[in-house]
Amino acid sequence: MIRVQHLVKVYDGVKVVDRVSFEVEEGEVFGLLGPNGAGKTTTMEMIEGLREPDEGRVTIDGLDGSRQRSAVKETIGVQLQSTALFDHLTVEEIILLYGSFYRRMRPVKELLRSFDLEGKAKTLVKHLSGGQRQRLAIAIAVVHDPRVIFLDEPTTGLDPKARRSLWEIVLRLRDEGRTVFLSTHYMEEAEQLCDRVAIMDAGKVIALDSPAGLIRQLATDSVVEFLPEKDSTVGFRDLDGVKEMKWSEDGTAVVLLTDDLQATLRGLISRADEQGVALSGLRTRTATLEDVFLKRTGKRLTEG
Amino acid sequence: MKAYWRLTWAQLLLFARNKNTVIWSLFLPIFMMLALGTLMGDSGGTQFSLHVVVADEDQSAVSRELVKTFREAEGLKVSAADRDSGLKQVKSGDADLLVQLKKGLGERLASSGEKGSPNRVALYLDQTDPTVSEVGSTVVRQVIDRINKERLDYQPPVTVQEVNVQSRPLGYIDFLVPGILSLMIMTNNLNAVAATIASWRERGILRRMQGTPLSSSTFIAGQITARVMLNGLQALAVLLVAYFVYDVHVYGSWWLLLFFILLGTLTFMSMGFIIASLAKTPESAAPIAGLISFPMIFVGGIFFPVRDLPGLLQPLVKAIPIGYLTDSLRGVMNEGASLVQLWVPASVLGAWLIVSFTVAAWTFRWDVK
Repeated sequence: MIRVQHLVKVYDGVKVVDRVSFEVEEGEVFGLLGPNGAGKTTTMEMIEGLREPDEGRVTIDGLDGSRQRSAVKETIGVQLQSTALFDHLTVEEIILLYGSFYRRMRPVKELLRSFDLEGKAKTLVKHLSGGQRQRLAIAIAVVHDPRVIFLDEPTTGLDPKARRSLWEIVLRLRDEGRTVFLSTHYMEEAEQLCDRVAIMDAGKVIALDSPAGLIRQLATDSVVEFLPEKDSTVGFRDLDGVKEMKWSEDGTAVVLLTDDLQATLRGLISRADEQGVALSGLRTRTATLEDVFLKRTGKRLTEG
Repeated sequence: MKAYWRLTWAQLLLFARNKNTVIWSLFLPIFMMLALGTLMGDSGGTQFSLHVVVADEDQSAVSRELVKTFREAEGLKVSAADRDSGLKQVKSGDADLLVQLKKGLGERLASSGEKGSPNRVALYLDQTDPTVSEVGSTVVRQVIDRINKERLDYQPPVTVQEVNVQSRPLGYIDFLVPGILSLMIMTNNLNAVAATIASWRERGILRRMQGTPLSSSTFIAGQITARVMLNGLQALAVLLVAYFVYDVHVYGSWWLLLFFILLGTLTFMSMGFIIASLAKTPESAAPIAGLISFPMIFVGGIFFPVRDLPGLLQPLVKAIPIGYLTDSLRGVMNEGASLVQLWVPASVLGAWLIVSFTVAAWTFRWDVK
């Protein structure tokens, strides 16, 4: 559905997007996951036709991204990061306004209903809550019944409840047969929503697979984390089952990626006993995209 | 077409819901007109009044007659005082001039200039106000001149007859109203467009529209239509108030007036778009627009005629559009001029429109970067 080939964008001599290529299948939820400043928004905006790529090309539904721009815009719906709308127009007026820009438009009532904004039709945009505003932003992205929808960090800044309700909307858009392209820096969001995820860092796509596949690529399925005593020189890398050992970003916690949790834990406890090292904050969990990102870049996805 | 009407309608709704627009663009011009109209006197024309202090030291029959003449003269408010207190009043600005009728004036006149010195009347005035001193000294000289002539039984061989060439009773307010319309058209478009568009661009509202098939020409056309409607409405409101309060008439064609309002709106809007595109931030767009429009208020013939400006500024005045807009509006309203008579300002404005629209279209950006 979307084909991206060797996209490059240079700002002030820096390649913010560096030869990015991938394909998005029809009807899937495709995620672009990466930290702030990884180049996600620039990549999306080049695909949407809002920015001219310095190199590379984009094809959407067989249409050339730079030569058939207006046809592309009829096919896609966009929600930009922190969408700004006219504060002094009502929800209904905004939908009618954006609907008028397209050849085809869905009925206002239907949109209000499906985005849970029925009671807000006559409310000014400035009086909407963050969640309502974001639902309106997505409503006007699908006002012309597009086949492809771009959502740039749709849940950033929303409270957990509003985030859940947005996730339901994304899944419903997919169930309606649309292709959804979303960017996020929440790994949980990518895991929950996306059929496939491209991990982006410093302008490059460093991994691309389904969330399960990415985790499988770690060749480990579990993570052991603990806080060793200060200045402990005990090594843990050679414990049974350990594939990878890393220190957390702040340098206090040890992160062990293992494919044999029981053996690793047994070895860890006896090693600690032998050396007289106290293990605090010991916990185990299954590996997540966060660990994939950590392993690939040596960095954490979200700060803190 | 659908998008064009929706955009126009949305912009009109935004105008109506924005208190600032209503206050600044509607009440301010009307208030300005009422304030200046009241201050400068209404349709009666030049209501010039001078406060004259007369110090009659002669106290003769002749001098009293002279004081009486002053009191009867049009535009003079006369009070009596002695020389020293009168001088104080002139210095403090409480009075405009002091006429001192020195002792021996009556004697000198009675003898038809045979006895005493001729220098019997002194005029004290503050020359820092050229208009007042000029008019004041002329009026006093005329009165004295008349008395001199009467005494000598002098009949001038040639007299000057003054004929008013304006067939219509025009006063300052008739001059002012077209000026206010012109000022309104400039600030509503140049300043408001620059600030609004720059802020929409900064907030990403324009970029969101760029994500749709909407073309920039449709967007701009919607803006133009809504603003022309707003300006037309404002002009109508100002003209109605001017008509009912000051009896100011539009002597020319309403269509021609509308044509010039349209021409001015488009020209200044284009300039507003240029500023919005060139300004780095929305915060700087408004001051840049102000920097351009503020001097235009003074050199645009809005509150006083362009010919009163120093000669040094004349080339500038001839180059910028505001004066031509003001002249055209004034021509249509006050003189009932036709488009043929106004072809010079109309073509200068047209040229400005073409140039600034071209630059505006060329520099227009949806996006910040």
